[in-house]
Amino acid sequence: MAGITVVFPGVKALDLAALTVRPGEVHGLVGENGAGKSTMIKVLAGVYAPDEGTVSLDGERQVTLLPNAIHAAGVRFIHQELHLVPHFTVAESVFMGQEISGRFGLDTNTMNERSEVFLRETLNAHISPRTLIRDLGTAERKLVQITRALIDGQAKLVVFDEPTAPLAIGEVDRLFAAIEGLKANGIAMIYVSHYLGEITHICDRVTVLRNGKTVKVFDEVSDQITDKIISAMVGREITELFPEKEKASNKKLFEVIELSGRGFSQVNFEVAAGEVLGIAGLVGSGREQLIDTIYGLLPKSSGAMILKEEAYNPTRPSKAVKAGVALVPRDRRNDGLVLDQPVVDNINLASLDEVSVALMEKRAVSKERAEVMVKQLDLRPRNVMTIPRLLSGGNQQKVVLGRWLAKGGDLFILDEPTVGVDVGAKVEIYNLIRELARGGSAVIVSSGDPLELLGLSDRIMVLRRGYLAASSDVKDLNVDSLVGLTTGGNEGLLE
Amino acid sequence: MNASPYFRKLVEWVPVAVFAGMFIFLGIEAPNLFTPFTIDLMLKQAVPTVVVSLGLAVVIMTGGDDVVSGGIDLSIPAAAIIAAAIIADQVTNHGTLLPIALVFALLAAIMVGVLNAFLVVVIRMTPLLATLATSVAVVGITKVITQSKRINVTDPFIVFLRDGTVIGLSAGVVAAGLLTLIYWFLMHRTRWGMQAQATGGGREAAEVSGISTKAYQTISFFLAACTGFLASMFVLARGSGSSPGTEDNLLLEMVLATFLGAAFSPRRKVTIWGAALGAVLVTMLSVGFKSIGVNVFWTGCIKGSLILIVVASAAATARGRY
Amino acid sequence: MRWFLRYSFLVVIAACIVFFSLWNPVFLSAGNQMNILEGSAILLIVALGMTLVVSMGGIDLSVGIALDFGAAFAVVALKEYDAAWYVAILAGIVGGCLIGILNAVLIVWLNVSAFMATLGTFFIGSSVQRIFTNGGGPISHRRMPQEFRDLAVGDVAGIPTEVVIAAVVLILYFIFLECSIFGKRIQAIGLQPTAALIAGIEVKRIIFFGFIIAAATCAVGGLIASANIRMFTPLSGFSYLLDAIAAVFIGASMHPRGRPNVVGTLVGVLFLGILANGLNLMGLNFNTKDALSGIILVLALAFAIGQRRFVVLRKGHK
Repeated sequence: MAGITVVFPGVKALDLAALTVRPGEVHGLVGENGAGKSTMIKVLAGVYAPDEGTVSLDGERQVTLLPNAIHAAGVRFIHQELHLVPHFTVAESVFMGQEISGRFGLDTNTMNERSEVFLRETLNAHISPRTLIRDLGTAERKLVQITRALIDGQAKLVVFDEPTAPLAIGEVDRLFAAIEGLKANGIAMIYVSHYLGEITHICDRVTVLRNGKTVKVFDEVSDQITDKIISAMVGREITELFPEKEKASNKKLFEVIELSGRGFSQVNFEVAAGEVLGIAGLVGSGREQLIDTIYGLLPKSSGAMILKEEAYNPTRPSKAVKAGVALVPRDRRNDGLVLDQPVVDNINLASLDEVSVALMEKRAVSKERAEVMVKQLDLRPRNVMTIPRLLSGGNQQKVVLGRWLAKGGDLFILDEPTVGVDVGAKVEIYNLIRELARGGSAVIVSSGDPLELLGLSDRIMVLRRGYLAASSDVKDLNVDSLVGLTTGGNEGLLE
Repeated sequence: MNASPYFRKLVEWVPVAVFAGMFIFLGIEAPNLFTPFTIDLMLKQAVPTVVVSLGLAVVIMTGGDDVVSGGIDLSIPAAAIIAAAIIADQVTNHGTLLPIALVFALLAAIMVGVLNAFLVVVIRMTPLLATLATSVAVVGITKVITQSKRINVTDPFIVFLRDGTVIGLSAGVVAAGLLTLIYWFLMHRTRWGMQAQATGGGREAAEVSGISTKAYQTISFFLAACTGFLASMFVLARGSGSSPGTEDNLLLEMVLATFLGAAFSPRRKVTIWGAALGAVLVTMLSVGFKSIGVNVFWTGCIKGSLILIVVASAAATARGRY
Repeated sequence: MRWFLRYSFLVVIAACIVFFSLWNPVFLSAGNQMNILEGSAILLIVALGMTLVVSMGGIDLSVGIALDFGAAFAVVALKEYDAAWYVAILAGIVGGCLIGILNAVLIVWLNVSAFMATLGTFFIGSSVQRIFTNGGGPISHRRMPQEFRDLAVGDVAGIPTEVVIAAVVLILYFIFLECSIFGKRIQAIGLQPTAALIAGIEVKRIIFFGFIIAAATCAVGGLIASANIRMFTPLSGFSYLLDAIAAVFIGASMHPRGRPNVVGTLVGVLFLGILANGLNLMGLNFNTKDALSGIILVLALAFAIGQRRFVVLRKGHK
């Protein structure tokens, strides 16, 4: 793609941006939210027509940039959303929209066979074509999605859009193995991701977009250039992504004793006031379930919890909230925000009693509170009547945080707080987390990003297969040892 | 409810168990219920319900089985009623030839399908509301045709549907069986059917795969309206004419049958065979209870409770957050 | 342009008024206007209950049953137990609450979807009524205490009692759903139940009581209905179901974000009342009248919901 410009009313989304990919190459595309990554992909997909510029495939300029033509030219998209039907089999999902018919109707046998062969030989995966999607794990579902895009054998260029967002470390390796398989078949790939660790691992070259322009193309990609990539993305030197840590107090705020529940057992830990505790673990380690149990979304089967020196046993989230616990959930669009209620209502949702007189809401008070919060969090745009659905990921997350800040809390739990958030907003959120700790609250951060955990936490605990595998001060850990503990040594690594 | 896997497996079988229990009870109380003669009678009785349930199954499979936002068509019985009324009125009151009357009736049913499709696909009304509204409007129009009075029909074809036999089985039953086969093949063994199911299983997923979901939804309402038309002939046959008020019972049985069928299917989803089987079972229950003297109003209660049992166990076995 | 489309329903109503008054000038008379209000009172009450349920993200197909149970319990209390008029009122509300409790238990404790649960309640409730009355015949009670009868035929300072009752319910619902903090919580539950749960809202508790309150509200409608004709007619509540749903959705279409709201429901109810009254005054055969109201209802709904789509589409891509 050369010299693409796309102008939306008032905003130049892309400004002479360019990107070239070679066959058999994995080309990373990075940039902050709003840098133009998704616009560029949408131009390639034929969703937007560029105002200037050309898209060429195999040296031939593509004149009709419509989805059908682009598909026919061999471009395939692996979207972030899986778009799979839970009750379909693998084969049915692979051939959705491109079913094979025989003389007596659908040719199920051929479809089954071809799906299985492709998965096995091209993607190095052993999955039975008759399995139902809902019985598969996330990584396997991703592989099914990839199979669907490539099964017709006509693909020349595959675009991966945040492919690993729902995956855990071990599962990412399966995806990479599949990508290696595609490389061997000479397919060109564009890999869009926020996870710079993966970008430097799997990509051969990287293009960085900023403010709609191509600011840098890296031809030699390795771990060493991560800082350079970040600088190019942000446009300035980021020496400190993470804020300064302070020593936490010794006062134990929250204690978990031999807690067992769905997916985890006999977990012990404690968090002090002013401390940030990180929780690491693969999907299936019990990390998600542990958090849900602490918040009352899941019942515990045995063990005890103590909050502020009192027994704590929430049977549902409202009890947790009353006790002073706050949860920023991992799926903020569905579980964190009421997308279609204005920001002011979202911010006050947990503390309605404080903006009311005799059970009637005092609108002026609500708005004022919201405005204070919006300013404090630097939310863009500032209008408290905005609908969160229209906000960027980072701003949406700030609304969720704003709600808990407005209510106040002693224990803040943040589950994957920066998924889908651009670098600039990430830094702001990291600062907020430290602020919370500084204010005397205890903070638990659960994340699949080891760099994030190491940068943010005072202590880290690692869950593996439902058990507490390790617990350590951050100063005694580095990325390798942390990843090793999380994955259990060599389990799940590429070799 | 967050159930453990064992509990879930157990509860999945509740509807089947309840059903089996009722049949065993009937078998004991009325042993002559399961003779070939009575079974044939019950199958004949079931025919209209089977046919409309096929239509509902198509709409649900194409629209998704989330009842409020997904596909549902509550107007199929109404389409059947208006078609029946038109046929009866034309043949008995105006002396029209049966084939011509059938054409008029088919046109009317198609109009119902068009209206539903328009409301759901163009206006984007939820199918629940749209088909409910259509149903009321159509029933109202039917009343104008029949002036809320019963019309008898004695046309030989209709009588044949009621009494005639084909290779030893009742004509109606054979016809219903053929229809089930045709609809099964269409929905489960053709490209069209798979893509319609994809539309119902995940609209975005289908769109991304290049499937035109709007077209499929539209056609599903047509297919449903057609079953309404087809059912009308059997309704006339069963009742020897058109009577006001038949549609309420048909509606109840249709919904119960289709969702019950889902409980019997391996993937726990609405299917054509499931709907047909469900319709047969529901009718057998009705007839069975009536024959042992249970007040017909109690059977309404039982059917209502059955729907709840089926749906409650489906809800209890649904996966939680994971 | 956007403003016009949102309030276009009011234009439709205005057009109807013009049409009906041209057809039959009696339409505009004060007496007839009061007829419209009186005739709409029960529907308004039922529609408000429905507004609550739809705001919570559900639907209630058993509103007619709650109305019937309200009427039945009251009439039976008066007739069989010679109860005082206020006891009868209480009995009626208890009857409605029973339906509400059945729904609430099914939906909150057994996790059945609102549609299915209320559909089941509808079927069961209809059967129960048929069984109770041995076939569906009405239970009449000519000698009702005057205070009870006054619910329908009396008046308060010149305004018919039923209109006053409806107005009171309207005001209570407005305060509850639009001004109070419960209303905010209910809206959050309706839009995104998991998010409401995580924000600490007592989702199950609110939904549970919500269905009971809605059913009790409908029972009040039943009290008026039975007082009006001095009898309990089984299954008469069904005719309010579709009109109530229509009124709520028409009302929702007038809200900037398309959520159900009390004032909108009022507008919807008035529209339906004007329609029914106008058609009546046209002196049509009752079958034709039924057919026409059905058709117009479909058109009205299509228009209300369709114009919202149009507004959303015109806002452009974002």
